[in-house]
Amino acid sequence: MEFPAALFPSYFGTGPPLEEGGPAPAAGWGEHGQVLEGGPGRRQAQPAFVPRRSGTGERWEPADAAAVPVLPPSAGCWIPSPAPQDMLYRSGLCRKLRAGKSGVTLDFTRQLGHFFVDHPEDAFGSLGRLLHKNFYLGNSKLKRPARNSTIRMTALVEDIDRLEARRGCPRQHLASRLRWFSHLCRDWLFEMPLGLLADYLHEELMLQWSNLLFDDSLTGGALAWLPPGDGGTHLGCLVHPGGQAMNHLYFQDMVLEKLPRARGSPARFELSGRVQQVAAARVDGEDFVGVRSDYHCGVWRVPGRTGAAPTPLQVIRTDVPASCLTVSPHLPGELSICTQSGTVYLWNVERGLQQLRHDPQTMFFRDHSPWRWSDFTAHPRVLSCADRTGLQCLDARAPKRCHFDLFKVGEEAGCQQGERVVLPMYLGRAHPSQYLVTTQFSVYVLDERLPLVPVLKWAHMMKSPPLFAHLMPGDPGRSHKVLLGASHTQELLLIQFLGCVSSGGSQLACQLAGTPQKLHSIAGCLQHLPTQLPHRHHLLQQRLGAPVAGLAAALQEDRPDESMLVFQLSEAGDVFCQRLTHEAAQPPAPTSTDEGTTAPGSPAAALRYRRWLRALSRGCKEHPRHTWTPSLSQRRLFTRRELEGPAGPSAMQRQMRQRLRQAMQEGGRIQHWEPSALQPPPLPKTLEPAGGSDPLSARLTAAWTGDWEQWWEERTSFSVAQRQRALRERRRRQKRARGRRSLSASFTSSLTYQSELSELSDAGPALLSPGRPPILSQEGSPPAGSPPARSPPTSSAPDEALLSSQSLRCRGIPKERRKTLRDYLSVWAEGPPEPPEPPGSQASQLCIPSSQSQLSSASQPRRKRPRMGF
Amino acid sequence: SSHEHKLNFKKSKEVCLSYIQDAMLQKQWQRAADFLTSYVESLEKDYSREHIGPSEMIWRIGSEILWHHSHSSMKEFNYFIEQMKTLGVKRYLKVCLEHVFHLLCNGQIDEAYQNLSLAESWRFGEQTAIQDKEMKLIQAYRGLLDYYSWSKQKNILLEHGKCVDGFADLSVEQEMHSSFRKAAVNLKEIIKIPGVWDLFVKCYVDLLEFYGDHNEARQVLNEYAYNSKFPANPNAHVYLYQFLKRQGESKKSLISALKILHDIVPSHELMIDFNTMLQKSKKRRKRRLGLEVIFAALDYAGWKENVKAWSCLAKQVKQIVISEKHLDWIKQEWNSRKDWWPAFHFSRYLAKRNWQENKSLSYEKALVAGILLGKDCKYFKYVSHQGCKAQVKRFRMLKKFVNRHSPVYLRISG
Repeated sequence: MEFPAALFPSYFGTGPPLEEGGPAPAAGWGEHGQVLEGGPGRRQAQPAFVPRRSGTGERWEPADAAAVPVLPPSAGCWIPSPAPQDMLYRSGLCRKLRAGKSGVTLDFTRQLGHFFVDHPEDAFGSLGRLLHKNFYLGNSKLKRPARNSTIRMTALVEDIDRLEARRGCPRQHLASRLRWFSHLCRDWLFEMPLGLLADYLHEELMLQWSNLLFDDSLTGGALAWLPPGDGGTHLGCLVHPGGQAMNHLYFQDMVLEKLPRARGSPARFELSGRVQQVAAARVDGEDFVGVRSDYHCGVWRVPGRTGAAPTPLQVIRTDVPASCLTVSPHLPGELSICTQSGTVYLWNVERGLQQLRHDPQTMFFRDHSPWRWSDFTAHPRVLSCADRTGLQCLDARAPKRCHFDLFKVGEEAGCQQGERVVLPMYLGRAHPSQYLVTTQFSVYVLDERLPLVPVLKWAHMMKSPPLFAHLMPGDPGRSHKVLLGASHTQELLLIQFLGCVSSGGSQLACQLAGTPQKLHSIAGCLQHLPTQLPHRHHLLQQRLGAPVAGLAAALQEDRPDESMLVFQLSEAGDVFCQRLTHEAAQPPAPTSTDEGTTAPGSPAAALRYRRWLRALSRGCKEHPRHTWTPSLSQRRLFTRRELEGPAGPSAMQRQMRQRLRQAMQEGGRIQHWEPSALQPPPLPKTLEPAGGSDPLSARLTAAWTGDWEQWWEERTSFSVAQRQRALRERRRRQKRARGRRSLSASFTSSLTYQSELSELSDAGPALLSPGRPPILSQEGSPPAGSPPARSPPTSSAPDEALLSSQSLRCRGIPKERRKTLRDYLSVWAEGPPEPPEPPGSQASQLCIPSSQSQLSSASQPRRKRPRMGF
Repeated sequence: SSHEHKLNFKKSKEVCLSYIQDAMLQKQWQRAADFLTSYVESLEKDYSREHIGPSEMIWRIGSEILWHHSHSSMKEFNYFIEQMKTLGVKRYLKVCLEHVFHLLCNGQIDEAYQNLSLAESWRFGEQTAIQDKEMKLIQAYRGLLDYYSWSKQKNILLEHGKCVDGFADLSVEQEMHSSFRKAAVNLKEIIKIPGVWDLFVKCYVDLLEFYGDHNEARQVLNEYAYNSKFPANPNAHVYLYQFLKRQGESKKSLISALKILHDIVPSHELMIDFNTMLQKSKKRRKRRLGLEVIFAALDYAGWKENVKAWSCLAKQVKQIVISEKHLDWIKQEWNSRKDWWPAFHFSRYLAKRNWQENKSLSYEKALVAGILLGKDCKYFKYVSHQGCKAQVKRFRMLKKFVNRHSPVYLRISG
């Protein structure tokens, strides 16, 4: 690719950005940027000029009025992630008080209260049991002897209620009784030390809040489109996560028609963590799909021929959450990974991991965000790596020595103060040496042959930073299309640019073509759905308004009607699609049609909506939201016959009834008091000291028979043993609670998949049926040499609904602690403390080759994840 | 209360702006224009202290609408911009500059020139740093337009030079010289400041060369290419190289200019010229550098299917193999590439595709693959098999050549 003969003029400065920052609502409009001589008619008398931002781009018109669901809604109900009002003080008084100060007040006490109410057993278990005799919950006054050892709790509860009513009052006096009570029991009442619990809760609250402000774990998006192969068929594949915890990975074949339609059932893989990112690239006709969850990254291969099943290739585990996974467009089975500890790896399926850089500090100036990103460049051995402050390119052959700066947040690129890199993307499919960098304010196109100076810059004016980008390269002479997507606001923007246009033998510099175009958001289809009951409408609104989790697009190049399909994945697991058609070479339409809104939804779209809604309501009925109480139908316990009583009254009953009736008629008595002398009552049976008898009678029996002493011996030794066991259990629990910072040791679920490696590696897609435990196979495992019998997958997983990350999240359990809790609960559910390590730990060696030690950086203190600094 | 009123006003301003934004992003220009007429009211009570105030927003949005609105005309646009110039004093120069760009893109060069001259004479208080930069740009663009009129007059003069018409020529010549002076002064100013000034540098050098001031031209180009305050612009080196070539400079200085370009952009398209130049050299060191250059260029994804580059490499590799001298050069280059070039360049998939799409590319690549990877390499096997099947003579020769020199592979890989 030739370098443009002349670039647009621009100043070049160094150092920190000078321009004052801030979101600017109209900053992207009305500018040509610069002009350059060139374009057609160069040899004419007058020079012809072209602007950096030209007015004409391709016309893409939305075919439908709103986005349409392409896949049925994921089974089970979606639990929305916490909203600001869940975490902030609600009191109006408080808001007024705080209005002057910057920042927000997180409702710490409410969350702590929730914990005590929702998990009383965990909070006060043992002492509660010990003390419950000493707490009196009635209203009446306590009598003298009881008063010595019992507290009346009702008064305390009243005090607490009163306090609640006065919340936010600057001059609130704590009731003395409450103060006295809390003084008295602060140190010993709680199962878990209160200070520690509060610390954790506070940390989690801050984390949730920062995630709410800006969640960068989704960067890159969890949706990928694998276009049809070279055969030119209309069959592509959509790779997306699903399930309640978004921990299932689906490969769904799609037929590209006017509205894409799923073909067959998808290949499904259950993973051990929430899928955060799905990245894909095609090398030599095969697709390689990389999947990132917090602590695991995996790679699949999808052969080029249609209908071929995806094969899992390899999985690696990280101790620090991974923040990036990209797939090489140059070499098969090569990926790059970044972790939040500032480490960049080149991952080759055959050769393993190679650490390119480890630097917890940011590159160009200090920024507290641990987010890192890395991607490939025009040179297969040179990788770019990015943090919030900029991008550098590293040569994998000598990463310490050979590197250059590609992009810097600074005066070099004309950045604003406070501007930060949000998503870099290699534009190799459009131009081998071009790069896209988005910040919260602008998009930049960079050419690695001219580092630091963006060849294109445009203020995108999006309300929240674009976390997703998708490139659709255009043929020579046509514009490249880039889709930018934001998560929480569901914004979706289509921009076009002309890479290097060759005109009259020389190359023209990069130009932005036409105006950006806003595409439909998922939430926009609400008004096109049939009218709903208010509460259903509200639920639907919530569901459709869920943050976007991924973005993909497909270009259908059937002339004359070329069309573009844009897929969006929401955090609820819904996949929506919209189609745009290319209005080729049409003169600018007159204003009347220009202004007209698009045609109302087509019948096909309406049908899709109806079907989707039906499936959604069906799915939600099965699990009513929030109020999930375990209930058992007795029909399952007893047969119908058992439940049915005897057909009619028995003979005795009949007899008794007759007597009753007779007695009533006679006005007499049913039974006479004098015992009938004929039949003396039978002697009561001697009481057997059965096992089930209460301790008192057992003791009395023992005393009666004379071996009371021996009974006492037994009794005491038994209870000592019991108490010891209980204490040991408690101690272990506390240890676990203390050791929560290094969780990696307790990765049981990763062991389960490892134990299944060889079992499943040669199994066909038939095994990938739903209901199968995590399947992550590795091709590299020796098929014959591996031991044939491995430990079976963990048999009885603890209650799935209880342990899914979703439900844990909604219970306010922090992300990094969910795992512990799950392990902890699984111990209770299963009985034997820990599943023994499978003999085939060789699998883990295969997964994490020699450089495993590089990955394990558990010894480092875990960095907190503060909010992004803009 | 007034505070509440202020808040409400602010709120409705924001809502109005979001409507405008929404309409513009959906290309509903008329709707956007309707909202904008209401938004103009926001100018009345402008309490905002944001760095883009309402006046700038109205300018930006209004221009954008007028560019796209099907009923707008250039006359209306000019009228609107004139209004905008008086509206925001701070942004006067920026508005002028954008106006000029619009005129230039619509071919109204003379109007643009007038506007530039007007803007140049604008003064308002102390100039900020940004205004200073904008002023310099305005002057530079005026210089550029002066250059174009100079070049026009020059062409007239050159055409007239053939027929003899002394009187008319004199006035044209005078005009041309005055254009030259005006252009040179302004262009010279801007290219002193660090930046990307490809267009301005090119024009200025053209002027200097025409008047025979080669030293100044060389100095300007050297400064543009080698001043470390300027960005590493490959074009700066290209212009210098082209200038040296025009000047008929020695091979040595051409090579040293290209060597620096190679160091900063190993994937530049001039690397082919560089390689041919080096291959012709008698010095071993230069031929060696040539091999390095072509190998480095082929590392890049953009060169994957470049037949010229592959034939350069094939030629040089063939030469080395035949002479059996300097096999260690190939070995050294190959060492750092042997773990990824086979998958990157010589996979079976690529063999198939190259064969289908470009036979001569597959020929050159097969030759290189056969030597570097031996005759059992997938790429070579596939292509030579297909070539022999198609009974193409050069592929048969290729097979023979590689078979004859198969020991070379062992020496390279060993």
